[in-house]
Formats: sequence, C-alpha cells, structure tokens
Amino acid sequence: MSIFQWAQNPWGQEILIRISWDLLYLAIAGGLAFVIGHLVYRAKNPPKTAEVPDIGDAGKDIPEKIVRHSLAARLFHWVMAITMITLLVTAFFPILGIQFNWVPIHWMAGIVLTAAIIFHIIHASFWLNLRNIWISRQDWAEWKQEMEHALGKGEPPPKTDKYPVDHRIYHNAILVTGFGVIVTGLLMMVRVENLIFARNSYLLAESTWGWVYVIHGLSAVGLVGLIITHIYFAILPEKRWITKSMIWGWITKKDYLANHDPERWVVTDKASK
Amino acid sequence: MAVIRDTMAEFDLFQPASIDDALALKRRYGKTSWALAGGLDSLDWFKDRIKRPEVVIDLSAVESMRGIRETDDADGVEIGAMTTLTEVAEHAGILSRFGLLADAASKVATPQIRNQGTIGGNVTQDTRCWYYRGGWPCYRAGGNICYADTPTAINREHALFESNRCVAVNPSDTAPALVALDAKFVIMGGGGEKVVDAEDYFITPAKDITRMTILEPGELLTSIRIPGTWAGARFYFEKVRDRQAWDFPLVNIASAMKVSGNTIEDIRLVVNAVGPRPLRLTDVERQLKGQSVTEEVGQAAGELALLGARPLQHNAYKIPLMRNLVKRAIRGTGARA
Amino acid sequence: MADGKLFGTDYIPADLVAKVTGRAKYAEDFRADGMLFTKLLLSPMPHARVRSIDDREALAMEGVMGIITADDLPETDNLVGSDRALTMEPMYQGEPILAVAAVDEETAAAAIEKIKVDYEPLPFVIDPLDSLRPGGPNARVGGNTIVDRKEVVEIKWTAQDFEEAGDSMPMGEAEVEWEVGDVAKGLEEAHLVLDETLYHQSQTHHPLETRSCMAYWQNDKLTIHVSTQSTQRTAGAVARGVGIDPTQVVVIAEYCGGGFGSKIGGTVNMPIAALLSKKTGRPVMHRVSREEENAYGRARPGFQGRVKLGFRADGRITAIDLYLIQDNGGYGRSGDFTSASRCASLNYTPLNMRFRGISILTNTPTRAAQRAPGGVQITAMLEPVIDMAAKKLGLDQIEIRKINAPDNDTTYGSNEHHVTSAYVREALDKAAEVSNWAELKAQSGQTNGSKVTGIGIALSSYVAGSRGFDGLMVIRPDGKLYVHQGIGNLGTHSVFGTARVASDHLGVSWENTEVVWGNTSRHLPHSAVQAGSQTTHAHTRANLAAAIDMEKKLKEVAARTLGGSADSYVVAGERVYRRGNRGSGLSFAQAAEKAIELGGTFDGHEAPEDINDWTKGAVAGLAGQGLVGVAKDNYGGEGDLWSFVVGVAKVEVDRETGAVEIQHYTAVADTGAVMNPRGLAAQIHGGGVQGFGLARSQKWVYDPKWGVPFTQRLYTAKPPSILDVPLDMRAGTVDLPDPQNPVGAKGIGEAPFGAGVAAVLCAIQDAIGEFDLKRSPMTTDLILNQLEGVPQPITVLATDV
Repeated sequence: MSIFQWAQNPWGQEILIRISWDLLYLAIAGGLAFVIGHLVYRAKNPPKTAEVPDIGDAGKDIPEKIVRHSLAARLFHWVMAITMITLLVTAFFPILGIQFNWVPIHWMAGIVLTAAIIFHIIHASFWLNLRNIWISRQDWAEWKQEMEHALGKGEPPPKTDKYPVDHRIYHNAILVTGFGVIVTGLLMMVRVENLIFARNSYLLAESTWGWVYVIHGLSAVGLVGLIITHIYFAILPEKRWITKSMIWGWITKKDYLANHDPERWVVTDKASK
Repeated sequence: MAVIRDTMAEFDLFQPASIDDALALKRRYGKTSWALAGGLDSLDWFKDRIKRPEVVIDLSAVESMRGIRETDDADGVEIGAMTTLTEVAEHAGILSRFGLLADAASKVATPQIRNQGTIGGNVTQDTRCWYYRGGWPCYRAGGNICYADTPTAINREHALFESNRCVAVNPSDTAPALVALDAKFVIMGGGGEKVVDAEDYFITPAKDITRMTILEPGELLTSIRIPGTWAGARFYFEKVRDRQAWDFPLVNIASAMKVSGNTIEDIRLVVNAVGPRPLRLTDVERQLKGQSVTEEVGQAAGELALLGARPLQHNAYKIPLMRNLVKRAIRGTGARA
Repeated sequence: MADGKLFGTDYIPADLVAKVTGRAKYAEDFRADGMLFTKLLLSPMPHARVRSIDDREALAMEGVMGIITADDLPETDNLVGSDRALTMEPMYQGEPILAVAAVDEETAAAAIEKIKVDYEPLPFVIDPLDSLRPGGPNARVGGNTIVDRKEVVEIKWTAQDFEEAGDSMPMGEAEVEWEVGDVAKGLEEAHLVLDETLYHQSQTHHPLETRSCMAYWQNDKLTIHVSTQSTQRTAGAVARGVGIDPTQVVVIAEYCGGGFGSKIGGTVNMPIAALLSKKTGRPVMHRVSREEENAYGRARPGFQGRVKLGFRADGRITAIDLYLIQDNGGYGRSGDFTSASRCASLNYTPLNMRFRGISILTNTPTRAAQRAPGGVQITAMLEPVIDMAAKKLGLDQIEIRKINAPDNDTTYGSNEHHVTSAYVREALDKAAEVSNWAELKAQSGQTNGSKVTGIGIALSSYVAGSRGFDGLMVIRPDGKLYVHQGIGNLGTHSVFGTARVASDHLGVSWENTEVVWGNTSRHLPHSAVQAGSQTTHAHTRANLAAAIDMEKKLKEVAARTLGGSADSYVVAGERVYRRGNRGSGLSFAQAAEKAIELGGTFDGHEAPEDINDWTKGAVAGLAGQGLVGVAKDNYGGEGDLWSFVVGVAKVEVDRETGAVEIQHYTAVADTGAVMNPRGLAAQIHGGGVQGFGLARSQKWVYDPKWGVPFTQRLYTAKPPSILDVPLDMRAGTVDLPDPQNPVGAKGIGEAPFGAGVAAVLCAIQDAIGEFDLKRSPMTTDLILNQLEGVPQPITVLATDV
C-alpha cells in the first residue's frame, strides 16, 4: 500500500507522477465499508417515520407541493451525475483492467462537466441563496448533536433548514474534490491530443505536473467514495422523498413538515414558485 | 538508484521443448515472465535493464513452433512463429505464392539479424521510439507523459495516425505484408487455441497504451497461417529507410492486388511505421475496387490515404512519402512511371 | 623515390591472417588470473555537480572489490582544459563519475544500481548559438569558451548581432581572426558573390572496437592492454593519467579496431582499470559498451558557418570571408575550426581571405580529432557552394576547381606557408579520366521514372606528414632484419609499409624482415603519434635513416672483420661483401655476431646523441642482441605536407521517396609516391564510405529539453552499411613523389573522408537543385521535403537533430 507513484525522470531523479492506484481500492473499500456500516446500524436502529407536527393555521399558506429543486438545478445535477459517472468509469475501468479508448470520452465529459459547473456557479450566485450551502457554527453544533443522537446520546437535533447539515457537508466535499479534478483536469488536457488545447507537456514544471496529477487522482478517488455514499443514501427508502425531489423538483407538504422547520425554511406560495 | 545500461541483469532461464510446457511456465510465472523468440528486441531491453523479467522463457527449443508447412487450404501455408526471417525470405513456396512476405522479410535489418530473428518476434516486437527505449517514464512505460510529442521533441520517426497520447509507431516490415495477405495469427493460451485476423493482432494505445498486440501475458503466438486467397496476386512491397541495412522503415508499404485486364478486382493495402499498428487503408481499398490501374488512380488513392494524418514537428515528410508509396503500390513499380 | 622491390608493391601484412581468422587479440580478449571487471556510473545529466556519493550499500555487496572516483585520480594542474577519466562535475550526459570493480560485470552493474549520487543540476546548453545569445546559458560555470586551455571565459553576442542576421548566421565578436589580402576589395571586384549560411553536424567516431582496457601491476610496473592508434606515444598518456613515470608502463596494443582520431595516444578511460587494479591488487578489465563508447569516446565538432564567396566570371575566387562557430563540447578547444580555415585557404587559394571563428562550449561529449578534423566539415560545407557558383557562372565543376587549385608554389593560411607538393590539377584530371567524367556529365539530370541522376566532384585536402622521429632496427644472429616500430597498428598497415623502406634499402627480402610492434616492452623507438596522416611520411624517413645507419655499420663490421675500408664493401642479397667479390664477405647472421663481439655502437651499447631519450632506452634494451641500426630523421625540409583527394560521385535520387542511391564513386589521391597500392585504395575508399555516412545517414541527436542523446547505438546513429556502398568503386593516384621525402611518400589517412562527404552532397544537389537547407547529413526526409515543397522542420543552423 502506497500513496504516491514515483518514476525516474530522464535525469534519474525520482519524480512524483500520480497517486498510487491502491488509493482507488481504498476509496472503493472505504465507501463500501461506510455503506455496510450504515446498513448494520440501520438494521439495529430502524429509521423512524418522522412525525408530522400539527402546526394548525400556520400551515395553511403552505402549498401541497413544495419546490425543492428548480428545473435548472435538477438539470445541472443530472448532467453532473452523468458526466461524473462517465468520468469515473473512463478513468478507472482501464485501471481495473477493462481496456477501451477512454481518453477522448474522458476529456469530453470533463468539458461538459466544466461547462455545467460554470453554469451552476453563475446560476447559484445569482438565483440561489449561497447561504444554503454555507456551514455555520450552528450547523456544526447541530451536526454534532445529530451524531451523538445517532450513537444514542442526547436529544435529537432540531429540524432543519432547506438543506440539512450533512447535505451541506457533502456539497462542500463535492465542491472541493470537483474543483480539484476540474482545474487539474483542464491542465492535464494539454498533455493529450484534444481539439481544444495545443499539446504541450512541458507547460508546467515536472514537479508541478506531479502535484497536478496527484490532486486530480486524490480528488477522483475521493469522488469515488463520495459517490458511493451518495447513491447509497439516494436509494434508501427513508430518503427517497429527497431523491424524488431531485427528479420531480418538489416535495410534499407532509415531508416538508416532517423534516424541516418552517421557521428556518420559510415556504410561502411565493417562495415556492 | 543509479542507472546503468548495456549489462544484462539476472533472470532465470527456461528452455521448454513444447508449447504446453512454455504455456505452463507462463501460467506459473505470469507477469514476471518474458517469452523470448530471436532476442533482437528482448535482449536490447534486458541489456538496458529497463524490462527486468524474473523468468525468461526461451522458445528456441520448441520444435513445433518452427518451420513452414503446407495447409489444407489450397495454396495456403502455416509458418511457425519461431521460423527465422531468412527461412521465410528463402522458402520456395512463399517465394512463389506470397512473394510479398518474402520481400518484406528480406528487407529486415541484416542477414545476421534475419538468421536469428523470427517471424513471430518480428510481428510482436515493441516500438523503437527512442524516448521509450531510453527508459524514460512515458505513457507506454506506465508514466503520464509523451516525451516524443512535446514542443521540442525530436520525432522524425513517429506517428501520423492513430496516436493516442503515445505517438510511437510499429516498426515491423513483415507485419504489413501479413495484414495485406489476410494472414491469421494462431494464439495459444489458457483457453486453448485462438485464431485472429492479422490486422486484429495489432492494437493502438487507445486499446492499451503499454502493448503493441493483443497478446496477453499468458499467451503465445505459435504460428501464422496464410490462406490461399491472395496466392500469386500482384504484390508490392517497398521500404524507405535512411540506410540500406540495419535500419527500421521510415515508412513501408505492402499491397496485394487482384487485377483483371487493367481493372482492380480486389486489393489490400497496408502501410506501416506511420502509426502504432500496421495501417490498413480500407477506405482506399474500397475506392480502388473496379478502377483501372493508372497513375491518376494511384495519385487519388495516395491523397485519400492521407485523410486524418496529423504530422508532428519533424515527420511531415511522411505525408508525401506515404502518398507516393501508395501511388507506387498501385503502379506496381518503384521508380518507373 | 626508392628503387627497391618492395616499396610500391602489394603484400600480405603480417597481421592479416590473425585478423580474418579472429585470432588477433584486442584489448578485451585478454584474461589474467583473478581478473576483476569494472563498470562505470555515468552522469545522467548534461551538467551537474556531484554533491555526495553514498556507496556503502554497493561496497557491502559480495563480490564488490573496490570503487574509485575522481578523488582517486592523480593530481593535475589542468582541470579546465582536458577531461579526465572520472569527474565530480560532469559536462555532458554520460561522463563517468565513478567505477566499481567486482568479480564479474553483473555484480559490478548491480552495485552501480545501489549507489546513490546526489547531483546538483547546473544550467546546460547544447546549441552554441543558444549560449551566445544575450543571457543564454553557459556550458560551464563561469563561461562558454576556454582560452589557452586553462581559463573559462564568457562571450555573449548582442541582441543586435542576432537581429541583423535575420535567417542567416549571426556574426558577433570572434575569438580567432585573420585576414590575408583585402577581403572587402576582393568581394567588391567579384563578378558573383554568394553569401551562405551552412551547417555541419557533430559526429561520433564509431570505431568498431570500443576503447576497452585491461591492466595489472607487477611491483611498480603497470602492464596495460589498450585500444590505441599509437603504441610508444600511448605510454606517456597512460603514465600521466595514472601518475607514474612512462618507464613504469608497458603498453600492449597489437591491433586497433578503428580509432579515426579518437584513440591517438590511447583513451581517457585508461587510468580506470589501472587505478582500480592498484587499489584492489588484482588485474582489472574494463570492457566499454557501445553506449559508453558514444559517451566518453570522442566526437567531431559540428560547425555553424557563414561564408561570403566572391568569384570572377572565369570562376577564380577573389575572396573568401568565412565565419565558423564551433560546437566544442565541454573541454579544451578543438583545433578543427582553425584547421578548417587552412583547408579552405589551400583548396581554393583565394586572392583574399578573412577567417573569423569562435569555439563555444556545449554540454555534449568531448571533442577530438576525427579523420581530417576541420577538413571534412569545411569541405562538406563549401564544395556544394562552389558547385552552385559553377552553375551560375556556366562553368564545369572540374574547371572551377582547377582554376582555383593549389600547386607546388601555393602559399596558404594566415601565415602564408608553403606546401611541399600539391598536384591537384593532375588529380582532377586523373579523376576525370578514372571516373569517365565526360560520360557522367552527360548523365547529369537524366531521369529514369521517378529517379533523377546527379553527379558531383569534390576536392579534399589534409596534412600528410611530420618529421624528426627515430628509426630503430636490429639484425640478429638469425640473419633477419627486425624493424622496431613505435607507431601503432591502426589498420592502415603503415606499421608494415614503412618498414619495407628499410628492407628495400638493405636488400632484405620481406620474408626475412620481422616487424616488431604493439608492445612497448619490446624496445620501440620514439615515434610519431599514429594520427594526422603523419606516419607514412615520418617513418619512411626514420626507417630509411636507420637503414642507412645499419648499412654503414654492416660495412664497418665487414671491414673490421675482413680488412679493407668500409667503403669498399657493398650490402646486397642479405650479405655485406667486397665490391665485385660476393664470396668475400659476411652473411647478415655473421655480421650480427661480429657486431655483438665488437660492442659499442654496433650492438647498441652506445647510442647516437641526437636520438630521443625514449629511443636511447630502447637501444639499451636491445644492446648485445645483434647489429643495431638507429638514427633520427635529420632530412629536414621546409613547408607543410599536404595530401589531396578528388572524389567523384554519381547518385540517383528518387523524387517520390527522397531515397538516394550512390551508384559510382571514384577517389583519386595526390599522396606522393605510392607505398602500398592496395592499402592506398582501401584508405581512399574507406574514407569515402565514411563520408557517405556523414553526407546521408549518420545522426547525432540530442533532446534539447533534457540534453540527453539518442544516437548512442549504431542502429540509431546509422553509420553507412555495405549496402550503401556502390559496386562501382574506383581508385587512382597521380603517383608523383613528394620532393622532400627521400622515398617520395606522403600520408593519406585524412583527406579521403571529406572527398566522400562532399562528392555525394554535390551529386545530390546536382540532382535536386540548390539545397534549401545547406547542411549535412542530407537525409531522406530533408530531400523529400525539398522536392515536395514541405516546409523543413528545422532551420539550417539547427544543431543535434
């Protein structure tokens, strides 16, 4: 088990060329271990159906279908999902021994993903509330409470804002690893033949390239772990209302009231449009 | 670790006498083993200590992999993979029916190398990209850079076609001739015998950047069968090189053509040293069927052959060279107009 | 001219059977009890400083017996000018850092891999022009050129120098400059002026035998088997490298598998085996691999050049204004560029000439003389330009060379030296006759399908002799004449040919002549280095002088034994006898025995004063063994010795592939009286073939980013193969004796090379038209690009591609 792959450059110097693919197996194993661990935990502590509080008149302004993800956001999510899966398959299947012409698909998917992310950044900056993904001090405290509660200690955490804290943490992890692969991936395009950049493998210094490949690799194997857990939660029955919202865009008033604090995620007819 | 070249590192040498024994050894030692044919490619790697197998399986004692046999297929022949290039070049049956292959084999390197080098080794040989052969950590060597396609690279001998990160070329002379003759390569491995078309034997970096052929670590190329289909056809082979002995091709061409009157009934046209595998010009072949053998047709074929060529800094000469070689193959003669 | 029967006739050299049967033992064929093998650790970087070496793991290996580094070399006062066997500041990729001795090569190689060397990479440069640019990198710390072999100095040209030049070669400050006449005026008066930028590539020597050595010590005496061009003169080089006295060295080198100037006095790596042997107390073999040969073997410096040539309408050259930038490698300045200026001056006898030159250090292998150093480059560069001028002036290629040709009255170079003889017009005429020039000329431009014929003629010259060395021979009581030769057996056979002069003079048959060579313990005289085509001239003279001494002593011995005056005796038929009475005399065997009785100068107990100390030692070693003839070549003479070769080539260029077939080659030499006709033909053909390689295929390629070579193997370097040699190879000679040699002979090693390169280049140019890149080698790709209008991938001045 090693973290990095080294090679001897033409001058006999040891150079960093990429992460060790041991880390890929580690990421897969880590992702699967989390899933198994969670399944075991879940079997011992079956999820309770969230109670829908009666808030009386306060709920009369709340529509039956509450928009959780706009069409633009959903399109972005699914484009990202498809390209991300494409990128991971094209990147890692050859390493796992399944050989095919992966490079053009990989960079093209990377370009689509980049474009999608640029769209998302613009869209999120101007049309969405950036605070939705910000992790505040209170969020951390609630996350701690949630974790302790999960381990059988203390009170359950309060109901959440539009995005629960674990979603926010996940989004930020995706943000970091996503930026990691995108920025390095764009640079790496000059190392291969493509239709966009002229090839120049000497654009950066040899050691810089080493780090570019390492960051790309670390981000990518990180994404493997993240995506395994993401898909796992997406298919859990108790989370399906969220998964459905990523398809149809809305959640039911019931799910809303059961999982969110109307004080914190204020939904009015106007806001939900 | 300091680098030293030109002195072989240690390995265990096995000299099996049968294909089964050789395959058993390959199974036992897997990726740490190396099958040795004539050694012209392998020993270079060993001496430079770049490829360092723990076990070398020398196939020279496997009698069943030697020699040239007639096959049931009328006019066909089967050539053991360990048959020397000299034997191939001088074999009466090959000379009379498949002169194309004899011609190609006779233009490999030098008489001494042809006496030692085998047909199986010649088609399975690794590329001669000097960055890769120098032990540089390039894509083909498992790294993540192609030194031969950088702004300052010296890449006169490199690829015009089918490059994919790696721009190395297949340097074989007999490979294009065998593809042109529609030869079948017999591969033995764990799953028994497998027969593939010659053109499917060779792969590009898109498929696997560290290999030149489909041969898996546990497999051996045991023989090459040439069907009678193209026996006695009109053949053309030409190899352009810097010097007339001990040199790989700058570009070579092999063609087999069936002509009726002056009309091309069928043709197979293959160029090598322009890409990672012998490049069969199927579009050109299609275009040529039914055409007359004229200078204009040859010229048009040459132009068509170049579609998709992407020259590097130093190898643009291969574009007119390849075009002209296609023209000459149609014409059927080198110098004469 | 000698009137003997042997001089000027073919013979079987004494080493021939051993060579063709493989019995000849070269340095790496020797073995000794307990012999170790060594392998070297070579610098992976083109320029670096070794910070530290960790060899503990290697030394701990079983079978590893010792390691030496530069610290084990003897003190030297010249760390700048010359490279040494090992270094702590490698100047090129492949320069040796240390050597490991082990029980076998496998162990030594495995040990090398266990050694950790910490290098500090330093700036490097492989193209001299890059180093001359303002702010450009220097090949050495402190500068990019070496003055007087001891001081590194930095020279940079100005941005303006580069701008003004455009696509031509820039010409900034020169290091060397001379002018004879008034070049500006000469160009002004010219009918035609050509201003050309030219390039000739650096080239490795590629001897078939690599520079292997085997050494062992017996007490304080070092015996070393080496690959060297010279024998006696190699002992001094070994002694210097090891730090001992030359008398402590025995050099054994009976054969040499090619040197071409790269092994003149032995090789730079000789001390490695010797010092490791000293350190380990066991014999040490150093077998040099091909890759190593191409690293610390030597190379010819490449030139970037610019020439302005002025011609009168009749083709006479009014002025040559020549500027050469020499690619010097990392050590002391090569003489090639100044030699080139002399060759240009001599070949074309311009009415006015200016030469400017600069030699720039690069981080590429150490340069050294290579067969006609400077001469080959300038001939290859200028001859195609002369052909262009002939075409523009409507002159025949031979006529334009004749009108400019040197003759016996010519002076040349910066100090306007004379030559001893120059029969260039005769050589041109003879070449026209031998090659059937008129018929070739008619074929020029003829097409055959896609092929077109071109013809070329070229004149090449080089120095061809030196003076003042010693001859030494003995008639032993067996009656045979033993000619002791300090020159080496380089393969030219001059080691045998020059002995035949003595046999002729003394009337000894070749069967009764024994040549003693190849081992300095066998009492060899002080000799010329086997280089610069010196030996044929120098040692025909030295051996004649010693033979004359021998004749005199034979007569004196006879007179003292049989009475009468020495003058009344004659030497003939392997006897010394009274004139007119063959019966009254002594056989050589009897004379030898008498000489031993007489002692003194007769049997070597006394030696002449004027001979070299080394020869005195050899004479002392032979004392009492027979009648000794020994003398220094005191013939004197004035002027420089030059030989000339005219090469004629016919090629067919395939316009569809760029392929070139050389179909005919004629070489005609002006080399004085011919000593060995078959050997001469072999020399001028062999040099020509070597030239075909430089003209056509031979490569010297470096990756510019890493400063690492790709042409260390014969299959990537591509010297010519036998299939690149035409079947129609002809040779001729003008056979006019040099007036300053009693036997009329001049050397011929060098000049044939340039004729081969230039004749082929001229022929290709004749076939395809003026080169768009005036450089060599003119490879298939460059030819095809020109014919097809494909932009050339390199500029004319590009180095190392």
